Amino acid sequence: MIRKEALEIVAKTCKNNPIVSANGYISRDLFETYEKPSNFYMIGSMGLASSIALGIALKKPKKKVFVFDGDGNILMNLGSLTTIGVISPKNLVHVVFDNSIHESTGGQPTHSSVIKIEKIAKSCGYTVYKIKSKAKLKDVLTKFKNFRGPIMILVKVEASKKISSRVQLSPLEIKRRFMKSI
Amino acid sequence: MNKNSQRLMFEFLNKNGIDNFVGVPDSTMKHLIYHAIKKKSIIIATKEEEAIGIATGMSLAKSPSLVFMQNAGFGNSISTITSLVQLYEIPLIFLIGWRGYLPNDAPEHTKFGKIQPEIIKSLGLKSKILSDSNWKKSCKWALTQLKANKPCSLIIKREFYD
Repeated sequence: MIRKEALEIVAKTCKNNPIVSANGYISRDLFETYEKPSNFYMIGSMGLASSIALGIALKKPKKKVFVFDGDGNILMNLGSLTTIGVISPKNLVHVVFDNSIHESTGGQPTHSSVIKIEKIAKSCGYTVYKIKSKAKLKDVLTKFKNFRGPIMILVKVEASKKISSRVQLSPLEIKRRFMKSI
Repeated sequence: MNKNSQRLMFEFLNKNGIDNFVGVPDSTMKHLIYHAIKKKSIIIATKEEEAIGIATGMSLAKSPSLVFMQNAGFGNSISTITSLVQLYEIPLIFLIGWRGYLPNDAPEHTKFGKIQPEIIKSLGLKSKILSDSNWKKSCKWALTQLKANKPCSLIIKREFYD
């Protein structure tokens, strides 16, 4: 399964809940597959999607807040896993699309082919689901209705040559409609 | 700033709509941080960029925040300030501890303490330097900036040796 397919499967189950998407191809894939005002496309500030989502989750406890992260992104802000673990927001779902490469900068390797992100997340207090197939992914998502976060869905994906187009919205548009929608 | 001014400043900001104090501790502002901990309106992050991310999320959910840090951490945060806070016009107050302000501060702070005013200026981040006599006026200014959706900074000088 490639990231775009996995991302579309997860995004459709988010319905109208807020999604904070990491910079690079993840935000681009989300823009092409499940565009909606309650998506916060983080186009810069690599690594911070989970931190932004934590801030939203704490102030909007009745909404499920999703993070669409990448392995490169979360490895850049591992401290965020510890902060999320300490605060333990029940309404946070942290989805990591893990291809073990920095795909948008040319496919250079990340540490996730050696280091187990799921082990780090578990020791930080997350409930973790590691998924390798579409069927498993769909199956886990159906069991999600009464979850208690923080939850991490670590989806192993393959590299792909399909590149989504850039997010066609200005940062201010992204912010304004996101704030209005939540 | 002395102990009492820091306490009054925390109370003033908190009463005037600053719900969250998010950051990485600095001894220069430890009294303010102490009161924020007591009031349970604080999140201690692992890194300054992380703190800015959390405060940005809270701001998107319409809950105003102050981000506190030492100037060393402010140096770490420059790209986050340009590519998140300024790019999306996120209204945040930065409270920055000015190490290297005194000539004989610890050696690791000398260089950044010296170039800090120029960096803040080139970022285009408006700032006021706090003192025991002007803190209230400066905080009122910062709250006005926030209402206009503009990030800004308050600088707190390190005026003691340890």
